[in-house]
Amino acid sequence: MFAIEVINLRKTYGKVVAVDDVSFKVKKGEIFGFLGVNGAGKTTTINMITGLLQKDSGTIKILNHDPEEAWEYVKNRINVSTAYYPLSDALTIRQNLRIYAKIYGVKNVEQKIMSLMQQFELSHLADRKVADLSSGERTRTALCKGLINDPEVLFLDECTVGLDPDIAEKTRRIIKNYQQKSGCTILFTSHYMYEVEELCDRIAFMDKGKIIKIATADKLKKAIKKHTIEITVKSRAEELKNFLMLEQMNILLAEDNTIIFEVTCERDKIYKILNKIFTKGFLLSDLHIKKPTLDDIFIKIARGRK
Amino acid sequence: MKWHRILALMLKYWYITIARADRLFDVFYWPMIDLVVWGFASKFITELSEVNLLSVLLGAVILWTFLWRASQDMSVYVLEDFWSRNLYHLFSSPIKVSEHIIAIILFGLGRSLVTFVFLAILAFALYAFNIFSIPLFFLIIAIFLLSLLGWILGLVITGLIFRFGQRIQVLAWSVVWILQPFSCVFYPLSALPPWAAAIARVTPSTYVFENLRNILAQRPLDYGGLGYALIVEVIFLLLASWYLKKSFDAAKKSGLLATGN
Ligand SMILES: Nc1ncnc2c1ncn2[C@@H]1O[C@H](COP(=O)(O)OP(=O)(O)OP(=O)(O)O)[C@@H](O)[C@H]1O
Ligand SMILES: [Mg+2]
Repeated sequence: MFAIEVINLRKTYGKVVAVDDVSFKVKKGEIFGFLGVNGAGKTTTINMITGLLQKDSGTIKILNHDPEEAWEYVKNRINVSTAYYPLSDALTIRQNLRIYAKIYGVKNVEQKIMSLMQQFELSHLADRKVADLSSGERTRTALCKGLINDPEVLFLDECTVGLDPDIAEKTRRIIKNYQQKSGCTILFTSHYMYEVEELCDRIAFMDKGKIIKIATADKLKKAIKKHTIEITVKSRAEELKNFLMLEQMNILLAEDNTIIFEVTCERDKIYKILNKIFTKGFLLSDLHIKKPTLDDIFIKIARGRK
Repeated sequence: MKWHRILALMLKYWYITIARADRLFDVFYWPMIDLVVWGFASKFITELSEVNLLSVLLGAVILWTFLWRASQDMSVYVLEDFWSRNLYHLFSSPIKVSEHIIAIILFGLGRSLVTFVFLAILAFALYAFNIFSIPLFFLIIAIFLLSLLGWILGLVITGLIFRFGQRIQVLAWSVVWILQPFSCVFYPLSALPPWAAAIARVTPSTYVFENLRNILAQRPLDYGGLGYALIVEVIFLLLASWYLKKSFDAAKKSGLLATGN
């Protein structure tokens, strides 16, 4: 059962092809991430799915319905949030949320607003105008709006921009909790890799309007198998360097007593090389193994295609 | 069409009205300035010419408010949604353009009526002018025809905003004033030079003000003119609605609806 099905979606602005034959399916209850450089077409894709933008061609299905035919059914069950479009400046948080609660026909409006403001730590600001909020507070207000109708499908387009690390972490937790409790489906974009890595079940890489890869975060990371290992020895650094060269390791840096080298292999090979170092009797004073992150993959894919 | 969504939008415009002092100016201050200026001017003229112009001019000022407010309310409240980049949230929700427009019309009508009552009281207090010296049935017809014309202008301007964005926002304030000289608000059609009279004769609002003068001078009403105004306005209403729908679709295509600029 899929919550979102997109087939051959396309959008052009004059000569610019913003979204080029994009197809993907998101399972019910899945958190699906969109990664891509600026201008890759993530926002354009989302806006077409939510009905803010007219597609050129292609098929969209949300919760098994064509949103153009069953727009009321679909739109009552989805919601969107982004840090880039805050709610009305001139109104207070409470007024803004009340309006959207009524638009979506929420029951127990005041109660719903209170509980959302509480979750996002906004209760003390309830009657302050959005214009007088910090950007992080504004972002959280927009998130409250995104959850006001208990959406079955939620679109979060860079919804955590401008949040401090503590609030960002809490926000991810609220999103994750909400997802687990409600079983809703989330389409999530962000430029913060750790966020996507932490939240998303699957990730689609977009570049120049196309999806170039869809995979789980783990699988993506396996796609580049380079671990970097940083060793600092108490002595015999030169000897260790020669030994690693003999073992055909790619040495990135050798300075004083520290050597950084790459292991292009699976996990057990790391174990093997370390084991050899230990049995040779090198005395280590420090050791770091750096696993590849989505950042590395992202940069690699982005550069590779330029 | 769902009432809870229309009511929610009206609540939004209510909040904006009470939050922004300039919106309250629109309801009370500007109409009052008009009334006071014209009131004293006509008192002065009356004394000079010994012709009682007071009711003709004050009645016209009060009725003109409906056309003016109706056209401006619609475009300004839509612009408000552009300025606050709110279209993104509004149109990803189940709201339809028609619900958006109906909410603005109903809210605007409420505002116009508040202004009307305010001006009626003020005119009575300052100049002992009783607006109800104009028969109620004519007031209702006049208010209906003028508001409808205002909404038509508002729909067209809103359509232009959806097509060209905020850069044409100056139209929202100015269009109705271009129409004013050709509506014969403060002078009879016969006072216009032929070229202007030709334009005034096709402008529906002309017949409202001509008939206001008829009724106050105890002349018979020109029902033909009022009928013409109604027919023309209904046709324009259909055209304007169609244009707005087209513009909205264009905004969905160009991305204006999603980005707001
Ligand atoms: N309204 C528009 N008119 C013309 N071109 C547009 C419009 N909106 C987007 N584009 C172009 O379409 C392409 C895709 O833009 P989009 O906003 O979808 O990228 P994105 O992946 O969301 O990027 P970001 O990470 O910066 O948010 C870009 O080249 C952009 O310049
Ligand atoms: Mg984007």
